[in-house]
Parts: sequence; C-alpha cells; structure tokens
Amino acid sequence: MTERARLSGMSLTPLVSSLVAILMAFVIGGIFLEATGKDALEAYRILIDRGLLSNTGLTETLKKMAPLLIASSGLLVALRAGVWNIGIDGQFMVGALFSAVTGAALVGDVPDPVMWIAAFAAGFIGGVAWALIPALLRVRFGLNEIITTLMMNYVALNVTAWLVKGPAKDPKIVAPQTRQIPLEHRLPKIPGSDVHIGLLVGLVCIILVAILFRSTVPGFMLDVIGRNRRAAVHAGIPVATLMVVALLVSGGFAGMAGANDVFGVQGLFKGNWNPGYGFTAFALVYLARLNSLLIVPFAFFFSFLLVGGDSMARRADVPTYFIELLEGLMLLCFAVAVYLERRWSQRTARAASSDPATTSLAVAGESE
Amino acid sequence: MANDALTPRPPLPDGRGGEPRVEMLGISKRFGPVLANDNVDLTLWPGEIHAVLGENGAGKTTLMNVLSGMYQPDDGQILLDGQPAVIKTPIDALEQGIGTVYQHFTLVPNLSVIENVVLGTKTGFRLDLGNAERQLQTMLADFALNTTPQTEVRHLSIGQRQRIEIIKVLFRGTRVLLLDEPTSVLTPVEVEGLFAILRRLREQGVAVVIITHKLDEALDLSDRITVLRQGRKVGVLDPETLAASDRETSRLRIVELMFGGRPSSEGSDVASGSAAPGETLLTLSAISADGDRGAPAVKNLSLDLHRGEVFGIAGVDGNGQKELGEVIAGQRRSTSGSLAIDGRTLTNQGVSAISRAGIGYVTDDRLGEGSVPGQSVAENAVLKTIGLAPFSRKFWLNRKAIERHAEALIEQFDVRTPSASTQLTLLSGGNIQKLLLARELAMKPKVLVCNKPTYGLDIRTAQFVLKTLREQANDGNAVLLISSELDELLDVSDRLGVMYNGELVAIFERGEFDVETIGQLMLTGRRATGVAA
Ligand SMILES: Nc1ncnc2c1ncn2[C@@H]1O[C@H](COP(=O)(O)OP(=O)(O)OP(=O)(O)O)[C@@H](O)[C@H]1O
Ligand SMILES: [Mg+2]
Repeated sequence: MTERARLSGMSLTPLVSSLVAILMAFVIGGIFLEATGKDALEAYRILIDRGLLSNTGLTETLKKMAPLLIASSGLLVALRAGVWNIGIDGQFMVGALFSAVTGAALVGDVPDPVMWIAAFAAGFIGGVAWALIPALLRVRFGLNEIITTLMMNYVALNVTAWLVKGPAKDPKIVAPQTRQIPLEHRLPKIPGSDVHIGLLVGLVCIILVAILFRSTVPGFMLDVIGRNRRAAVHAGIPVATLMVVALLVSGGFAGMAGANDVFGVQGLFKGNWNPGYGFTAFALVYLARLNSLLIVPFAFFFSFLLVGGDSMARRADVPTYFIELLEGLMLLCFAVAVYLERRWSQRTARAASSDPATTSLAVAGESE
Repeated sequence: MANDALTPRPPLPDGRGGEPRVEMLGISKRFGPVLANDNVDLTLWPGEIHAVLGENGAGKTTLMNVLSGMYQPDDGQILLDGQPAVIKTPIDALEQGIGTVYQHFTLVPNLSVIENVVLGTKTGFRLDLGNAERQLQTMLADFALNTTPQTEVRHLSIGQRQRIEIIKVLFRGTRVLLLDEPTSVLTPVEVEGLFAILRRLREQGVAVVIITHKLDEALDLSDRITVLRQGRKVGVLDPETLAASDRETSRLRIVELMFGGRPSSEGSDVASGSAAPGETLLTLSAISADGDRGAPAVKNLSLDLHRGEVFGIAGVDGNGQKELGEVIAGQRRSTSGSLAIDGRTLTNQGVSAISRAGIGYVTDDRLGEGSVPGQSVAENAVLKTIGLAPFSRKFWLNRKAIERHAEALIEQFDVRTPSASTQLTLLSGGNIQKLLLARELAMKPKVLVCNKPTYGLDIRTAQFVLKTLREQANDGNAVLLISSELDELLDVSDRLGVMYNGELVAIFERGEFDVETIGQLMLTGRRATGVAA
C-alpha cells in the first residue's frame, strides 16, 4: 500500500476530504429531512439497519456491489486518462440486452460456464459498441465525449426498449422482454453465502485495473494523459488512440455490469430497465480519488446506501430520490472539500495539481 | 553562517527608512532529507530592492514561499514592522501586505484584465467595478501598459501579463513585493521596463525582493544582495559594500559565496569545435507551420544541420522559434515543405517516429509540457522511453530499472532532489530543467533541439549545460540551440541563424558573428542597410 501510494503520489490524507464530504452530505440531507417534517435520525437508523445490519440487507448490499465494482473499474480507466464517460447507463443497458439475448440463445445448449462467459463477452461487446459512437465522433469530428456519451444514454433507453419489443423479444410472452434465464442457469452463489459470484467478478476487475495502473505501460501512459495531456503529446504517447481505447474499455466494463445483473439478478432484459449506476459509479470513483483499490470500500458504502435507501424510502416515508440527493450532495461537498484542501495545503501551487482527482476535475473544466 | 545578526543596522539609501519592514529570523524548512532552508535570516527594508541569489536548489524559492505563506517554516519567526506575524496562507500574506509574483502566472486567460485584478479581493462577490476601473486605469498608464481594463488577458504578451500580475498584487495594497525569477521569461526590452517599474516602487517605499540567476541584473538593480548556499545564508552584500567595490569585484565575491570553494567548471571550453562540418543529419526544405492561433508562424524555412555542429537560433521571443522546434520534434504539423532525418523523409510523422529516428527535443515549457505533475522524478525521467527495454518488457514495467536509471541521471547531472521517488514538480526550477535535459540526452539523439535549455539555471549549471551540448556536437551529433540569450549563442554556436517573423533571415558562420548586425536582424528582420539577407 505505501509503495503504491508513493508511486502514484497519493497518501491517505486526501481520504479525509472524501470522508468529510460524506459526513457533510448526511448532515445536510438530515436537515432537509427535518425541514420536510421527517424524522432524520429514524430514517438514518432504518438505512443502516436495513442496508447493513440485517442479514438480507447485507446480502443485498454485497450483491449490489458487483455491478458497481465492474462499472467503476472501467470508469476509472477512463477518468484516470481524463476521459469523461458519462454514458455508463447507456452502455450498461446495451450490454445487458446483448448478454440477455446471448444467454437466451445459448441456455441449455451449452454448459452454463460457457454460457456465462459468452454472456459477459457479449455484454462487453455491447458496451463497447455503444461507446464506439462517441469515440468515433471524437476522433472524426473532435466532439467532446462528455456531451456525446450523455446523449447516448437517452438513445440507448429508446433503442433497447424498441429492440425488446421486436427483434430481441421472447416470442412466447406478450410483455416486451427477452427470454427468461431459468434460475438454475443463473450465476452460482459464493459457497457459504447468498451472494452470487458477480461480486468476485467485480473484485477481479478492480484487481486487474490496479495492476494495469501499477505495473503496465498502457496504464502508465493513461496516467500521463490524465495528469498532463500536453506532456503526453510531447512524449510521443499515442494520446488520441489511448483515450479512445479508455473510453471503449470503460464502455465494455459497463456492459459487463449489465451482463452481471442479467445473470445474477434479473434473469432477463426488460424495456426501460435502467438502474442508473452511472452516477453512483461516478461519485464513488471520485470519492475514492481515482485510486483503484479504494474503490472497493466506497463501492460497499454506496451499495449499502442504495439498498438501505430503498428500505428507508418505504419505511420512513422518505422520497425515493433521497439517496440520489445524498449522492449529489456528497459530490458537491467533495468538490468544496478538495477546494479547501488545496487552499489549506502546504503544498505549492505547482504541487497542488498533482492529485489525479483534482487534476481531472480541472481537465473537465477545460473547454475543448 | 549568520554573521550580521549583531551588526548595527545600516543606514538606508537616501536616508529613507526607519524600521525594517520584514525580519525573517532563523528560518528552517526541511523536505524529507533535504534541508531547504537552514536557519536563514533575511531583513527587508522599505524602499529597497533586495536580490536573493544562489545556485539551483539553494533554497531561494522555499524562503520566499515561507514568507508568502505557501509553506510553514519548521523553525524560526517572521516579524512584520517589528511585530511577530502569523502567515498561514498566501491570502494571509496578501492581507498583511506581502504580494508574490510567481514565475508561472496565475492569471485566468479568458478573463479581462480588470476581472483578473479584482478577482478574490476583499470586496468579495459585490464588485465595485467602477471604482476599481478608475484605479486600474491609472495603474495601467503608470506601468506603460497600452491596454484597457476590458482586454482579455490571453491577448496580452508575457511581459504585459507579468505587469498585470504585479498590478494585481499592488492593487491589494502590497508593501512587500516578491518576484521569483521574473526576468527569465522576458525580452531584454521587457526586462528594462520591469526594472523601471521596480525602481519606481522602491521610490514609493515598497520593499522588493527579486530572485534571479543573472548577476548583472542583480548588480544593476538591487541595493542589497543576500546569497544562499545549500539552504544557508552565506553572505549579505549591503549597500555600502556594493557601492564601495566595482562591479567585477562584487561579481567575483558573489560567485565565490554562491559556489563556495567547490571547483569551478567555468573557463571550460564551450567554444565551437574546429572540425569541419560532417554530413547532413537534418534537412528542412521550405517548411511552413501555423502557430497555436492558426496564423503562420514558420514561413518557408530551409535549413541543413550537419554532424558536429551547434546551430544557434537567435531571435526575439515569438518569432517562430518555438514552433520551429516543435515541427522538428514532430509535435506540430507542418503545412508545407519537408523534413528529412539522415536522408529519410519524415515530414509530419509524429513525435514517436521522429524521436525513434534520432531527434531529441528539450521544451522550454518545462512545467506545462515537460513534466507530469504527481509523477516521480523517476517516472518523469522515462516518460519518453517507457515502452523500451529495460524500463518495460512487453507490457510490464520494470520499476527497479526505472529507479536505477533515474538515480544514474540524478548523479550524472547533479539533480538536487530528496530522492528519485520525489514528485518532479516539487523540485526547484533549475533542477527540473536539468532532469529534462538529462532525459533527452539519455536517449542519445543524433539531433538535439533545445529551446532555452539554460533558462532558470544558475551560471555554473548553465555553463555545464552548454558544455554538454558542445560535447554532444563534438561526438558527431548535431544540436539546434534556440535561445534568447545572445551571449550564450555567440559562445557556443558554429553557425547562427536569426529568426524574424517566422523566417530565417540570416545565417552567420562562426567568425562572422557581429553582434550589431545580429541585433538589428532580431529587431527588424533586416540589416542596417535595409537589405534583407
Ligand atoms: N515541496 C517540496 N518537496 C520536496 N522537496 C522540495 C520541495 N520544495 C523544494 N524542495 C527541495 O528543496 C530544495 C530547495 O528548493 P528551492 O525551490 O527553494 O530552490 P531554489 O533556490 O529556488 O532553486 P532554483 O534556482 O533551481 O529555482 C531543493 O533541493 C528542492 O528539491
Ligand atoms: Mg526557485
């Protein structure tokens, strides 16, 4: 850990900003609840109780970590290179549809592990395909991926909805959905638990990405691009190619997150199914300050928020979007905390831009 | 060490004065193993220009950063007007009348002059622009700035921006002005302009501190000179001493203080090699290229570089020299013409192909594009060679080899750094520059393009760099040296070209160098007779 922290120029102190931001978000969210006549403490108690302390809650939380981990590891690749992939949701949906169709075609005909691998591969391809359009627009016309990936989310919602009504639909059923994968063909449980192996897939993804950035040439180059794009050009690093690759890879991972949910949770793809992991992944990768291994605890935390938040919404009569509000507040507080951190830090102005998280925040502000 | 703590206060020039404005007492600051400031005292009097000199890494910037609130000292005390002062942040410092002009500017290019100046003043969100504008207008006129408060900063030249930086801190009532290497980015005319401004501020009772590597500037301008060496204050030349001795004596005294008794590399031969130029290594034929704003910056330029020669490019900044270097390095597309290395045409083949063909390029923008913030000295040292053995095999990095390589470069080029794993951007300016040069030389380029390689280097290190370039040529390679320092070009070049408005308006052989004519060409593009070469 210390080795890695040293090599990437990070220490644990920046985590303080993340933790303070989370705390502040809870305080502000609590004030919001009280102001609207709800009992904030009671709501938070239910959140923790249902998301963490109950057996089913914990299981759900661990299950939900899987897509977050998978999508976040891809997103990290993009963000570390300064590529803003806002299109995780769209890539997730297309990947999910691809994998559901693949699964429906293969189920029963091939051994399950083969089908799962094929389905994850199909999910990856689906996500890549969806990221390809913004990538091409960037290469061809220099269009900023922030806008295009965002737009592609809406397109994905409609295109997948249309596909499950037509070509991809299970002909035996009236509802617009793909053929259901029977329970016995879904992803198996981790022995001794009720959590399917998607969680392990997610952890493997994180480890792969950690290795990518720690020990490989492409990872090194992506980091250089993200920290100082002009230096990357100066050094002869293939900036355009690598940025496109980073975008595609992050799309592919988002697609695999879709495959995970199809084979771990849903069993099929329905029209208009959009769990909206994109924003959560974004928030958690930032709070983890673009550090691969730190994503794991933050994914756990956000997963807990999503799961507990569901129960909280039902039981404490809190709006369902309250968790989204909390996430938004966290990012907002995080931005403020990072700003204060830079102001108060004893580092010089030149050193202040050294943190990858703040650097890419700055990169995002740069007009292209 | 500190020998003047007990000496009586010297009288001030013109009888101005009274109390010292700032007293830094026993300041120490450590970065890991490096003691950047070791028990340093510094006294600043109102109405005085005080130069702080010292070799690269001596601790000059650190000392200023302590005074400007950027760093907290580990030890020591700061008195302002005799009172102990607490300076926690640069904003604290500003509020107490201590303003800093950093070497890399802090202006926002897309905002107007007035917005930049007023940004972050106490008035906060409700800006009293009318009043500010009147005040600013007078200051702009005072500073001989021919712009309106509404001009966007990006339209201003470097020299103009620097004056806006100064105005920006003065606008906040600064009584102590710190300038860290303010002249290295300026043309000679701009330097004169800056000095005129500083002298006027002195008249107004501002205490001015200037860090510079140019002894003549320090001697021209300052009333008092403090010399640091390896974090310690090794001497102060007060006004009487400076007045009493002639320039050469002062110079020698300062050099002696700066470098101590260590052996000198001065006098070593950087002059041109006498061998006849060898075969052609680089050919530019009628190359043209556009600048960042799309206007033509290099126009129809042809040039041959031969084995064994240092070709100097003189010119006032902004006449296409930088763009020329970038075209050769493959960083900038040429719009017409061709480029050949060793007989192979490689026009617009991109940085990596061109660098593989044997071209090295030392950029003048060492922070903007030369180094990667957040990465270590070691990682930066292999930025351009990361894909090659031994730094990586297949896709796998070999961190050990990277570290070892960096340590060798650090040793060889005397880069002052706590360790190879320190972030490069934390090193002193001159030491970053040394590493960038070392990185390029380690790639053994056949043609080395250097843009202002000595900028920010102390005189001895600058000499070392020039010597290294000379050796590079003597070993059968070619060097293209772009510089705004005519003196060093005259010393080291075998041939010297002058760029004006994107064109190479003249080429001189060594032996025909004529400062007068070259100066004419730099400023007007033609010889005094009115005939362009
Ligand atoms: N933030 C930092 N972290 C680690 N080391 C530092 C930091 N700032 C400065 N140093 C080290 O302290 C020493 C003094 O640096 P400083 O920048 O004060 O030198 P300087 O006299 O301004 O040199 P130059 O003429 O090259 O600008 C150097 O060895 C430098 O590497
Ligand atoms: Mg310095």
